[in-house]
Amino acid sequence: MNRKRILVIDDEPSITRGIKLNLEALGTFEIRQVNQAPDAVQSALEFKPDLILLDVMMPEMDGGEVAARLREIPSLKDTPIIFLTAIVAHEETQGGEAYIGGEDYLAKPVDLGTLVQAIQHRLIE
Amino acid sequence: MAVSLGMVLVVAVVDYLTGLEISVSLLYLVPVCWSAWFGGRSAGLFVAAVSAAAWLGHEMLLNSLFDHPWVLAWNTLTLGVSFALVAVLMATLELTQKNLEATVAKRSAKLREEVMERRQAEEQLRHVNAELQQTQMQLIEAAKMEMVGRMAAGVAHEVKNPLMILGMGADYFLQRQATSNAEASLLQDMKDAVRRATHIINLMLDFSKPRPLHLVPEDLNTLVINSLDLVRHLLLKHSIEVVRELQANLPVLPLDRTRLEHVFVNLFTNAAQAMPIGGTLTVRSSLQEVSGVSSDPGPRVMLEIEDTGPGIRPEHLPKIFEAFYTTKPPGQGTGLGLAIVRRILHIHGANIVLGNHSEGGARATLTFNLTPKSLS
Repeated sequence: MNRKRILVIDDEPSITRGIKLNLEALGTFEIRQVNQAPDAVQSALEFKPDLILLDVMMPEMDGGEVAARLREIPSLKDTPIIFLTAIVAHEETQGGEAYIGGEDYLAKPVDLGTLVQAIQHRLIE
Repeated sequence: MAVSLGMVLVVAVVDYLTGLEISVSLLYLVPVCWSAWFGGRSAGLFVAAVSAAAWLGHEMLLNSLFDHPWVLAWNTLTLGVSFALVAVLMATLELTQKNLEATVAKRSAKLREEVMERRQAEEQLRHVNAELQQTQMQLIEAAKMEMVGRMAAGVAHEVKNPLMILGMGADYFLQRQATSNAEASLLQDMKDAVRRATHIINLMLDFSKPRPLHLVPEDLNTLVINSLDLVRHLLLKHSIEVVRELQANLPVLPLDRTRLEHVFVNLFTNAAQAMPIGGTLTVRSSLQEVSGVSSDPGPRVMLEIEDTGPGIRPEHLPKIFEAFYTTKPPGQGTGLGLAIVRRILHIHGANIVLGNHSEGGARATLTFNLTPKSLS
């Protein structure tokens, strides 16, 4: 079975680990975690993800900058990115306002159901 | 004058017929005084002269004998001068009284004017004082909001990440299904706790940094009906009867549907929580003409929401819209609900007043402008 590869970038290892355990337990995803933003591009080049989950607020480099660097790489420029952010309310991520430069974003804390739904939605697109 | 001359004639006749001399002659003072009082100085002097002449006339008719003919002339003169003096005194007295009355009336009018001016000044002072108090409250509220905003943004990041870790952990064990029912309940409780904590942080974020309104012409009644539908389970659970008195064909208003539904759901939920063993929730909309000095006159759409609960205690009313002020038990209210309601309404240019109606339950009165001109 062809499992979808998802790259999870967040400076908090507990979060990337939680997402990895949950999504891999579903059996349809293969996850790689990145906890250092500067390592994101290299990991993405190696892992060739189908989708990237990207935290917005990270100490060394914020999510927007990481996304810009990923978009510079031809093989990654069309890979869907879902931003994870802690500084907006959940309601703000609903409807048309939920897109930044064509990307989704989800308000932390995200529950598994919402996360899976958002991932599947972007993968189908 | 005719009355006075008539009286002079009567006295002269009586004097002539009785011949009682001075005791009757003094009665000439009556017409003299009368004419001076009611007719003024000239009339008094005239009647005094007529009286003296009448006295002289009847003395001559009686053919009074005096030792010397000048005595009669002298007596007439002294009597005439006396009458004249009395007339002048009486006229002066009358004039003084009139002047006094005029002075009193003038001073009374001035006093009334001063009292009126003072009342107006006091009224203005009260008005200014009320405005000052309101401004002070707004400043305090604004400072509180700024603090909430800073705190919310700071706390959000630091708290939401741990909440996500906890939530993901609970999700993982729940989907493994390797747990007993009791353990599954415990995990579900953990997820609920995460959700509740997230909700509070989101409320703080939303409150401190309200999103721009998405204004679309809306029918207020439709939003009310939608919101009632959203809380129907709660209303059913509390056995609450809903009475809708919605005026048909209300003008459409520029409203943000989602935000307004948030307002109505909050108010309906509060009403339901005030009636845990049943009651009546009345929702009344109407178009009313507002006139008054405190607001621009013109038509407004009014919405009244009434419950039959215990009402709001008077000591809670002044603080009920303050952020973090709650009358609910710990853990059941954030104290942000009504503060958010008021903020949403204010950014719509609408107003809300909370109080109790005559039957004792609480009443929220919402007033909407027909145009967004007063949007802030």
